[in-house]
Order: sequence, then structure tokens, then C-alpha cells
Amino acid sequence: MNFQSLINSLQYIKPEIVIAVVIVLVVTTDLIMGKNKSLLPWISIAGLIVASFFVIEQFSFKAVSSNANGSIGMITADPFGAFFKIIVIVSSIIIVFFSLSSNEIKEAFERHGEYYTLIFGMILGMFFMISSADLILIYLSIELLSLSSYILAGFTKHSLRNSEASLKYIIYGGASSGIMLFGISIIYGLTGTTNLYLLNSFFHLPQFGGFIFWLACILIFAGIGFKISAAPFHFWTPDVYEGAPITITAYLSIASKAAGFALLIRFIKVTFIDSVDASGYWQLLNLIDWKSFLILISILTMTLGNFAALWQSNMKRLLAYSSIAHAGYLLLGLAVLSDQGLIAILIYFAIYAFMNLGAFFVVMIIANKIGSEEIDDYKGLGYSMPFLSFSIAVFLISLTGIPPTAGFIAKLYLFIALVDAKMIAVAVIALLNTVVSLYYYIKVLKNMYLVRPEKEMPAVLVSPAAFAMLIVLLVPIFLFGIYFTPLVNLAKSSIGLMGF
Amino acid sequence: MYLTVLLPLLGFIINGAFGSKISAIGGSASDRRNEKVIGIIGSGVIGLSFLITIIAFFQTLALPVEERKTIINLFTWLKVSSLDVGFAYQVDQLSLIMALIVTGVGFIIHVYSIGYMHGDKGFWRFFAYMNLFIFAMMNLILADNFVLLFLGWEGVGLCSYLLIGFWYDKKFEKSTTSDAAKKAFVVNRIGDFGFLLGMFLIYLTFNSLNFNEVFTRASAFGVPETTFAFIAIFLFIGATGKSAQIPLFVWLPDAMAGPTPVSALIHAATMVTAGVYMVARCSIIFASAPAILTVVAVIGTLTALFAATIGIVQNDIKKVLAYSTISQLGYMFLAMGVGAFSAGIFHVMTHAFFKALLFLGAGSVIHSMHHEQDIQHYGGLRKHMPKTAGTFLIAALAISGIPPLSGFFSKDEILWYSFANGGFLFWLIGALTAFITAFYMFRLYFLTFEGKERFGHEKPASTRSNRGEHPHESPNVMVIPLIILAVLSAIGGFIGIPEIFSGEHGNIFHGWLEPVFKNAERKLAIYGLHTHFQEILLMTISVAGAAGSIFFARYIYLRKPSIASGTAKKFKSIYNLLWNKYFVDELYDATVINPIVKTSDSFLWRIADNKIIDGLVNGIASLIESASVVIRKMQTGVAQFYAVIMMVGIAAALFWIVLSL
Amino acid sequence: MSVPIEYYLLLSAFMFIVGVAGVLTRRNAIVVFMSVELMLNSANLTLITFSSFMGNPVGQLFVFFVMTVAAAEAAVGLAIIIALFRNKQTVNIDEINILKW
Repeated sequence: MNFQSLINSLQYIKPEIVIAVVIVLVVTTDLIMGKNKSLLPWISIAGLIVASFFVIEQFSFKAVSSNANGSIGMITADPFGAFFKIIVIVSSIIIVFFSLSSNEIKEAFERHGEYYTLIFGMILGMFFMISSADLILIYLSIELLSLSSYILAGFTKHSLRNSEASLKYIIYGGASSGIMLFGISIIYGLTGTTNLYLLNSFFHLPQFGGFIFWLACILIFAGIGFKISAAPFHFWTPDVYEGAPITITAYLSIASKAAGFALLIRFIKVTFIDSVDASGYWQLLNLIDWKSFLILISILTMTLGNFAALWQSNMKRLLAYSSIAHAGYLLLGLAVLSDQGLIAILIYFAIYAFMNLGAFFVVMIIANKIGSEEIDDYKGLGYSMPFLSFSIAVFLISLTGIPPTAGFIAKLYLFIALVDAKMIAVAVIALLNTVVSLYYYIKVLKNMYLVRPEKEMPAVLVSPAAFAMLIVLLVPIFLFGIYFTPLVNLAKSSIGLMGF
Repeated sequence: MYLTVLLPLLGFIINGAFGSKISAIGGSASDRRNEKVIGIIGSGVIGLSFLITIIAFFQTLALPVEERKTIINLFTWLKVSSLDVGFAYQVDQLSLIMALIVTGVGFIIHVYSIGYMHGDKGFWRFFAYMNLFIFAMMNLILADNFVLLFLGWEGVGLCSYLLIGFWYDKKFEKSTTSDAAKKAFVVNRIGDFGFLLGMFLIYLTFNSLNFNEVFTRASAFGVPETTFAFIAIFLFIGATGKSAQIPLFVWLPDAMAGPTPVSALIHAATMVTAGVYMVARCSIIFASAPAILTVVAVIGTLTALFAATIGIVQNDIKKVLAYSTISQLGYMFLAMGVGAFSAGIFHVMTHAFFKALLFLGAGSVIHSMHHEQDIQHYGGLRKHMPKTAGTFLIAALAISGIPPLSGFFSKDEILWYSFANGGFLFWLIGALTAFITAFYMFRLYFLTFEGKERFGHEKPASTRSNRGEHPHESPNVMVIPLIILAVLSAIGGFIGIPEIFSGEHGNIFHGWLEPVFKNAERKLAIYGLHTHFQEILLMTISVAGAAGSIFFARYIYLRKPSIASGTAKKFKSIYNLLWNKYFVDELYDATVINPIVKTSDSFLWRIADNKIIDGLVNGIASLIESASVVIRKMQTGVAQFYAVIMMVGIAAALFWIVLSL
Repeated sequence: MSVPIEYYLLLSAFMFIVGVAGVLTRRNAIVVFMSVELMLNSANLTLITFSSFMGNPVGQLFVFFVMTVAAAEAAVGLAIIIALFRNKQTVNIDEINILKW
């Protein structure tokens, strides 16, 4: 690889370069501007928009066929990655706006510089996670994301809940990254390479398999499973989500999870694929029964998430469990091991981003107003805050998956993929889980609309900025609930992973 | 063209979302200026749609006949394996005619409503619903597949429900308006169920729900006739629900609980013709099942006669009109049944004109009589409201089939086809119904506008305080629509002059629609040999009969009112039978509703629901709840415990993989 | 003479297990972090072993990255522990459990 080709290859990481530049910019601006922090969010948003231009460019990158002779490096740039990067960028922009109206963040005004720096650290980590094709880069990007999010989870240092969440997060995260690294080292020992594409060609050789190999695979899966909060690696999720500042909770539940899923999909598809048949089903190498394994994990994840959510009294914690359950649904899409399942995942994520961010956003605004995230304190909100209550009702209904909201479309495509793959029993279990989830979502609505508050609450007005934000989040829910063709087409054109 | 659909939606969104705000501006909700804004938005969008439809109509007219069908594909809506449903609109001769009727008459009625609904506290809500209705109706008409048609079909049903129950806090007869709305909704649902079954069957048979594909395959494939018969009968059940035919007509009279413009627009001019439209659209399917076509004709004829006889004795002005609507819808189905599809659509059009006019006229009367609807308390109103009386007279003449008003041409065309294609009996009943129609329409006219004034001082003990006021002509915003409709009712028939009068040009209306029904008519191939002499003879008979009925009515109700009451006394049983609408409601109560209520109360609720289902549900719920508690307690809050579970999970996964290989 | 590869691997496996056991059993958060470091270092040892036995430089390269990450993680972890200690005056993990169920 000569110097010229090295320079040329930089064009494939333009978005990442932009993000890195923004990190530097934020830090220097913070230093130069001193006490005036009001510029930082706008720099962040501008940087994200620039990055999104380069990401959109990546949609047109053709997924090329690999020749497995070592020419593939650490980074891939393909439509699949671009789709997830767009999700990350969109949710990041929304999170920046969230932060502008969050009391928790506003109180720590003097540390806004590090807040935005760390957010961009997370973004950089996620971008590399999404496009990495090498175990080294996978490990490093996960760590980059994790380290930034550990700090952000405890951002308001003075709150005990914050620092507890942060400590639990780092202990759990440190342990699972150690486990994953050990798995990687075993794989490296077995093959002598860390590149996923080369690993795939190694795995075609007949001598692979055996206990050590399985151990390594499970250990690596544990590391990724921690990021997407798949059972039984999900236990940190509710505690961290409840304790962290709500902007970070929302961010972790969307962006970090999206990156984790992109990584998991790429890892499984690139490393273990044998061939893709005509109808889009992936024939995996006969090394590990990933299909049954993923089905088992996903059913466990959604069931645990939904059941534990039933008795939650804290809104953030409830949404944490619900996001675990949603990770279970998403894993089912992967467990189908087909292009159709992948399309379902992409659609689901795009919609999930809006509804989950929306739900967290409303919870945050309500917490700003009434100073509580407890569901019991939501009594009668339907009367004192009609618009906020309407919005959260829409988001929760969409999370349940009831038409005409977009959540229905997300679930519909998932179930179609399952039924097409003849996984009827699994589909039924997922459907029953949805029914269970209806119970706790509706409980919130019941509290808001059917229960009279103990004391009369004055009518509360929503600030124009928050109103605009909610409209931005509500429109896709209805739009994609009815006119979902463009989203489906986008997802269909984004399933090209590099090499396939 | 798709703008015609989107504009009403826009109007609905504006009025629905901001209507309450707009009317709240400036203090009192009945502020006239704010009402105007809402009214102008509401009618403006419909007016624009109408304009666009007219432009589209002339554009289409300029095209050669073969190219007069365009499909506007907005977007693919749902695409799952072989099911491909687009949000696509089909603009062809049939849908254009229907679109013209809906937007044109709809626009006039919207303008009229500005006057009629003045001062109502739900003014904005009314216009929002009306716009939504037009949106749904346009979807129904312009749809190019069954799914979109069904969307519109359900949409108009919903709007009809909302608008019948518009004055939800008002009493209507023995119950409330919301009961009437519920009745309409439930009865329609029965029909919709049939329609859905038909749709499923179509998909099963033709593997598509797109009109073009289905109809091409239907005219080409060797599908057995029994399949067609099943599809057709299911679709027809749907049509009887929406278009108020036997046996599902019971909701329409009750639907008169809504504001009068609603009755005019939805329950006379447009929505109820959806069934007729659907049958016409699917003409090829019906033509492939001649037996069902006969059923359609029989049901249509019977409904026409049945409703007309009830109409004779009703005293509520809107009820009379409601039964006459059912009766006229029967005519349209008779036309469909004898294969005279374009004649049926022609009648849809003329009927839209004169029935909308009748209702709006009735609304004008009701408006000026302070919501008194009993015609026995009217009389001599012509002096007070001459314009309303004049336009009402034109409409009544039109519906009675007096030449050269529009009703004559369409009705006689139907009667002629029923004689030529159907048989003497169809013609006889049809003609008889026409005579009865003329009779009760003029009974209504004479009792309302002529003769002695029977209002004002009759019931001093009445609760209404403003009864003493004199009736007055309605404001211009209401009268002008009446006049426009009167002109249309008078001359609207000339575009469908039968061949024998127009000579070589043939029937223009028929020629326009001919490409749409070509296949169906070819399949039916029933052109009986009849002479022009017969046609003119029949026409003369029906006109003479109608004229005779009118004079008979005039004689009875103006000269000798005693005859009417005397006859009623003499034939008390018949009178009672008619007065109680053949006891159909009671029959349904006794045979369907009461048994259902009884079973559901004694068995379903007490045993099946309470014991079995509730027990099951509660059992599962408590199981889930206890499981939930256990799962929740696993979350101990200690990070190390989580790590332990992680390790156990890894070990278990490994164990499982080792075992499974 | 050279030490056979199995010895290295056994040592690293032992270190890993010690690390895991430490994470699972120790109450003091700082000791838990040290155990995490032990896990990372056992992986490092494996990587180096394989790298040197296969004559493949990738593994050693990886180790440098891992060491950097480990240092960063230790720094962040200690900072978090200090923040928590200021709020609660304890570093015992089993006492830090207000977020549960």
C-alpha cells in the first residue's frame, strides 16, 4: 500500500474525519470562548449536518465483491453503514436539541464543553463501530463509545443516582469488554488474523469448530450483547437508564443500540456467511447454530424486558425495560437471517428512533414541569397538559405497534419477515409479548386520562421550541404510519453490506 | 386531479385542527366573521376541487375515446408478496361524472350550510366533518383498486356516523341522535362485512385487487359462474347497506336526525349512491352472474315500491324525503339489475340534483319554521317563502317525471330498459311506483306550501317560545344554492335525451359512459327487439299516470282534505301498516336484536364472559404478574450480581451449543 | 530452549479466571477495577503469545491499543469512583444499590 492509495483511502472515512474535526473544534471553542457556551450546540449541529452530507454520499457506494486477498482493510463504506450512520446523526441532532431544554444539563452549564465533546466521542465511536470490518477496530470503537458514555451517564456529578449509574455502567462495561477482548484474542490465535473478511475465508476451511472456538464466539457475542442490551447481558440497562441524565438515556437507547446492532449484523453476516440464496436467505457456515441461538436470546430478551416493565413506577425505568423488549424484537429480525429480516430491522430502527426519542423527550419536559418521573404523578396530566399527554400517548401507542402509527408498520414488516421464513411459533411468541407490552403502555395512558389528580394542577403551556420539536417527532410517526413506501424503499436499497 | 382529493383533506385539517381556535378569536363563538372564515375555507376547498374536476372533465373530453382513462399513481401503499395496493386514482368517464356530482352538489350544499348552520356552536366541527366526508367520497369514487375504495367506503360511513350524531345532545323521536347514528353505523357494518368478503373472494379468484387487472381477468378468464355469483352477491350485500336497500334500509330514515344539509349531501345526493356506483364499477362481475343481476333488479324494484308506499303516510317532511330517496335508489338498482348501467348512473346524477334541492328546500322550510318538521303543521307557506316554494315545486315535478324536467328522462330511461331487458312486471311495478312517488311528493308539496296555514296558533301550550313568529324566506346564501339546483334539476336531463328524440346523435350521456360498460353489456347481450312506438307509448303512459297522480293529490289535499282522513280511517289497518313502516324495525327488534341481547346478557355475559373468559384472562394476567415480580426482583441493584448472571449466561450458552452439536 | 506455547496460554487463562473471580466477588470498587485490568492483561498476554509464535505483528499492534484503552478506562473508572465517594462516602459495590427492580 503506497502513500497515494493511503491518501485516496481517506475519502471513505470523510464522515468520521468531520466528526473528529468537530471534537477538536468544540474543545478549542470551549477554551477560547471561556464562559460563553451558547455557541457549542450550534457547532455540533453544523458539524452533524456536514457529516450527514458525506454519509449520504456513502449510500451510492456500491457494495463490491470481496476478493479475500488481504486488500480489504479495517473500514467499510457501504449503504448499510450509511443507513445506520444517518440514524445516529438524526438522533444526535435531536439529542442536542433535547439538551438545550433539559434542566439537568442546563444546570451544569460550565461543563457544556466536555458534554458536547463526549457526545461527539460517542458519535465517533459509533461511526467506527458501524463501519469496522476488523476485530481490532471493533474493540477500539466499542471502547471509545463506552468510555464517553460512562462519563456522560454520570454527568451531573452531584446526583447520587447519576454517579451510581455511571459506576455500574463502567463495572459492567469493563467486565464485558474484558470478556470480549479475551474472545478476540482466542480468535486471533486460531486464525492469525483479525479481519472479518479474512476470518470468513478461514472459516471455510474444514478444521474449524470445537469448544475453544465456540467459547470465543460466545465471548465476543457477550461483548456486543452488552451494547445492544440483549438478555442475559442486559442487566445494566434499567439501572443506568434510570440513573443517567435523560438526554443520555434517550441517546443510549437509540444511537448506541443502533451502532451495536449494525456491528452485530456485520459481524455475523460477514464472518459466518456461506452464501446468500436467490430469495435472500443467508446460508451460514455450519460452525455455530446462530439461528437458534439468536432466536433463544431474542425471545429471552423481549420476555424479560416486557415482564419486568409491568410493575415499573418510574417512567424512565419503564422505557428502559421497553427498550430491552424492543431490542428483542430487533434481534428477531436478525434471527431470520435473510435480506427481508434485515430490511425489517432497518425499518424498525428508523421508526423506533423517532418514537423512543419522542417518548423520552416528553418525559423530560414533564419532569422539567412537575419535577417527577413517577407514573403516579402523571395522574390527570391529560387535562392539565393536553398536548404533551397527546404526544406521549401517540409515542406509546406507536411503541406498542398499533395502527395508524408508524410502530405498526415496523412490527408489520418484522412479522412478515418471520412468517415468510416459516417461523410462525416465534412470531406468535413475539405477538404475545406485544400484548403484554400493551398493558404497561396503556397503564400510563390510564393514569393520564382516566385518573383524576389528587390536587388540581394548573394548565401548563409548552414552550415553542419544545412544541416544534414534538411536531418534528410526531409527524414521522403518522407519516410513516400511512405513507411508508419511501422508508421501505430506502431500507431495501440499504441492505448492501460491503462484499455482498 | 389528485388535488380534488387532497383539497378537502386540507380543508378538514385546517378546520379540524384550528376551527375551534378560529371561532374562539374575537370572543363569542357565534361571531359571524369567524364563521365566515371557516365557511369560506370549508366551501372554498370544495369549490376548488369542483373547478379542477371540471377542468379535468374538459381535458378528458378533448381526448379520443380510447385514451379517456388515466391512472394517477401517487405512491405504492402496501406491497406484500403478490398483493400490491397503490394509492392510485383512476380518472375515467364514470369516475369523472361521479366526481362532478360530488364536488358540484357538495359545493352548493357547503355554501348553503353557511347559512343553515349559522350560530351553531359546532360550526367549525360541521365543516371539518363535511370536508372529511368529501375527501373520503372522492377516494371512493376515484380509487383504482378495491382497498382504496374500501377506505373511502369506510370513511364516508364514519363521516355519516359523525354527522348524523352531530347534535349529539338532542332528542330524536324516542331516543337520541347518537342512537340514530349508532344504528346507521351498525347496519352499515353488516353491509361492509359482505363487501369485505367480496373483496377477499376477488383477491382469491383474480389474485389482485386492482380494478384494471380484476376486470380484465374477469372478462377474459374462464372463471365459473358460481364464483362470480358469490362475489357479486357479497358485493351487493355491501351495496344494500350503503345504499339503503331491502333489507338494510332501516338506517336511512333515522339518519334524518342529522342537520338537513347533511341529509341532502350524504343521505340523498352522494354517499347513498356509493352502492350504485360500486355495482356500476363492477358491472363486468355482475354481468357475469346474470342470476344475481336479477336479484339486484328484484330487490331494487321491491325497495322502490315498498319505500314509496311508506312515503304516502309519513308526516315528517324529512322522513318523506328519506323514503323517497330509498325508493329512488331502488330505481337505480333496478336499472343496474336490467343491465342499464348508464341509465342508472344518469339517474344518480339527476337524482342528486333534485333530491339535494328537495332536502335543501325542506331545510329552508325547517329553518324558517324553527325546526318544526311535521307537515301537518305547515300549509300556505308559498306566500311567506316564494323562492323556496318555487324551487321545491320544480324538484317535485322533476322527481315525479314530468317532461321536460331531468327526472323524466332518467326515470323513463330506466322504465324503458326494465321493460325492454327485464320484463313487463318490472315495468309495471316501476311505473306504479312512479305514480305513487308523484302522489306523495305532491301531497308533501300541497300540505307544505298550499292551502290553509296550520301553524302558529294551533298549539299555544307548546314549549317552544318562538312559535308565534312568522315564517320568513331564508337568507340569500341559502336561496341561491336552491336556485342553482333548481336550474340543474330542470335542464340537467337534456344531456341524456333518449335516442328517439335526439335522432342520429344518440344518447350523449350513454355514449360518454359507453366505454366503461362496454364489456359488461357485451357479456349480457340483451337487446330485446322493441319498437320506438312501444317506447313512446310507455312514456306517455307514465307521464299521464304521474300527472294524474298529481291532480289526484291536489284534489285530495287541497279540495277535500276530509277524503284523506276518511280513507285513513276506513283502511285503518293498511294505514297503520304503512304508518309504522311495515313494522320492519319491530321485526328486526324481535328477530335479531332481542335474541342477541338476550343471549349476550344471559349466556355470553354471565357465563361465557364472566366465568370462562374473565377467569382465563385474569388467570393469565395474574400468572404474568407473578412472573413479572420474580423477574423484576432479579434486578437486585448490585452490579456484581449482574456480572454473575452474565457469566452464567455465557456458560449456559456454551453448554447449550456443546449439547446441540 | 523456549517455553512451549501452552504455558503462556495456561497462564493467561489463569489470569483471566482470577480477574473474573475478582470482579464477581470483591466488594471494593477499586479492587474490582484492578480485576478488570487483570482480565484485559490476560487477553494481552494471549495476543502477544500468538503473535510471537506465529510471527504475525497484528497481535502486538493490538496490544498497544488495548493498553491505551485500559489506561483510559482506569482513569475514567477512578474518576467515577471519586465522584461517587463524594456523594455517598463509600466505595463498596454492594452498598451502591438505590437503582434496582
